[in-house]
Amino acid sequence: MGAKDIKPTRSELIELKKKIKLSQSGHKLLKMKRDGLILEFFDILSKAKDVRSELDKAYEVANKKIGLANAVDGIITVKSTAFALQNIPQIELESRNIMGVVVPKIESSSVRKSIEERGYGILGTSSYTDEAADAYEKLVENIIVAAEIETTMKKLLDDIEKTKRRVNALEFKVIPELQESMDFIRLRLEEMERENTFRLKKIKG
Amino acid sequence: MRLLQRLKRGMSTQKSRPQGNSNYAYTTARVRAMKSKLLPKETYPRLINMQIDEITRFVGELEYKEDVDYLARFYEGVDLIEHALNRNLAVTFTKLISISEGELNFLISEYLKKYDIWNIKTILRGKYCGASTDEILEAVVAAGRLTYTFTSELAAKPTYEDVIASLSTSEYASILKDYDGTNLSVIENRLDKKYYQDLFTAIGDPKSKDRKLFSKFIRTDIDMKNLITLFRLKKYKVNDPETADLILDGGLRLKYKEVEKMMPLAFEDFLTELENTSYWEELSDCCGPNMDSLTDVETKLKKLRLKTAASFSHVYPLSIVPIMDYILSKENEVNNLRIIIRGKAVGLSDEEIKSQLVI
Repeated sequence: MGAKDIKPTRSELIELKKKIKLSQSGHKLLKMKRDGLILEFFDILSKAKDVRSELDKAYEVANKKIGLANAVDGIITVKSTAFALQNIPQIELESRNIMGVVVPKIESSSVRKSIEERGYGILGTSSYTDEAADAYEKLVENIIVAAEIETTMKKLLDDIEKTKRRVNALEFKVIPELQESMDFIRLRLEEMERENTFRLKKIKG
Repeated sequence: MRLLQRLKRGMSTQKSRPQGNSNYAYTTARVRAMKSKLLPKETYPRLINMQIDEITRFVGELEYKEDVDYLARFYEGVDLIEHALNRNLAVTFTKLISISEGELNFLISEYLKKYDIWNIKTILRGKYCGASTDEILEAVVAAGRLTYTFTSELAAKPTYEDVIASLSTSEYASILKDYDGTNLSVIENRLDKKYYQDLFTAIGDPKSKDRKLFSKFIRTDIDMKNLITLFRLKKYKVNDPETADLILDGGLRLKYKEVEKMMPLAFEDFLTELENTSYWEELSDCCGPNMDSLTDVETKLKKLRLKTAASFSHVYPLSIVPIMDYILSKENEVNNLRIIIRGKAVGLSDEEIKSQLVI
């Protein structure tokens, strides 16, 4: 909004004053939100690092265990045993709110199973298969936790970026422009006042 | 006679009773010739030092050449070798069934029935999860009495009910009729238990010395199965009283009552109880209350099993004993080759591969 597009009226000045006040309080709030989100982000970042390193470790173990099961029992056995899987892991997606940012909350069930719940018979399988299944169950659990934390992190980052842009826009564009318009109106009103006084004096004289 | 047997095998899923005289002399002579083609134990360290491509070439030049050539159209790399090994195993064991006669044929078929059970389980599992016929057939090893053609027909059936209906005249019908589409693990356990029970019944009360050795081997096998089942149940803290059904009767050094006594114990107590058995000597160095993995125990037991079989393989040359020894050695060769090649493919260290080999 350019200062020249403004009608230099008193009501406009009052309106602008209101807008500036609102923008300033909005700016203050958004700044607080940005700082809060950054704090929250760093808190989650440290968690995400741990989760990611655990996930990498779990993936490495799972790869090794499945490799060992494939080598010792044979890929045919592993494939056949995998056919018997019962109770595919269920994932429930909920949401929670962190300073107005909606982040996912992932609840999982039937990931970790006891040996009896896996669907295959105990007598015809080996501990290599058990350990590969264990390792993969742990990996799936870690993936679910990592998915929740990393999505939260991504959403927080997006929102921090958005809030930062808003704060900057208010601080460097909206409020200065409003101030400029207000100054312009004030100047014009004062000038109009002076013109009026001069005109009155001229009429009197 | 052999042709007639082969025809019967292809047509029937019924358990064939021992008929006629056994041809021990002929079968053991053939088995001796087959055994001479097995890889000597010195080959394995050499194989461990080779790259995957070298091993693939090496395996492709052995007894497995025909299988590698045949399967090269469908698979490549490590998968090709593994499928070729399994195909060769199936062809070899099928040959053993077809060259043997009478009671010998019955005993070999009873031992190799584990492959029939394996195939039935694979088909049921495949139907359970909606796998395609090709996917199921990839996991089938037709090394038992059920032919590949019959197994393929079973795999092509649209539902598990049709599979069970096709096996309604087989010896597995009484177990399979209880399958309701949800209790697969129970059915699998019952099928596996039936295998060991039938094997134990097939041996009967051995009179001759060779039969006694065969019986000793099978009963040691039952001991080991019971031991590994106990280890697994304890590790996963399964205390369901129904798991008592998993105990196999007929063990040699671990009687049914002893195993039953160990069933409800906690892992530490189970190990204490195990210390009183003769298996502790072999297992003591890899067992402890804080053990993470059971794979060492399983490998140790496998090695012990092979050692037991090898210890009496030369004692009675004209008996079931050298044939059993050959079956185990062949299975072991296939397992070892697979461990080396798969181990290399997934990046296991040479030491890790070596520890899993049973030489």
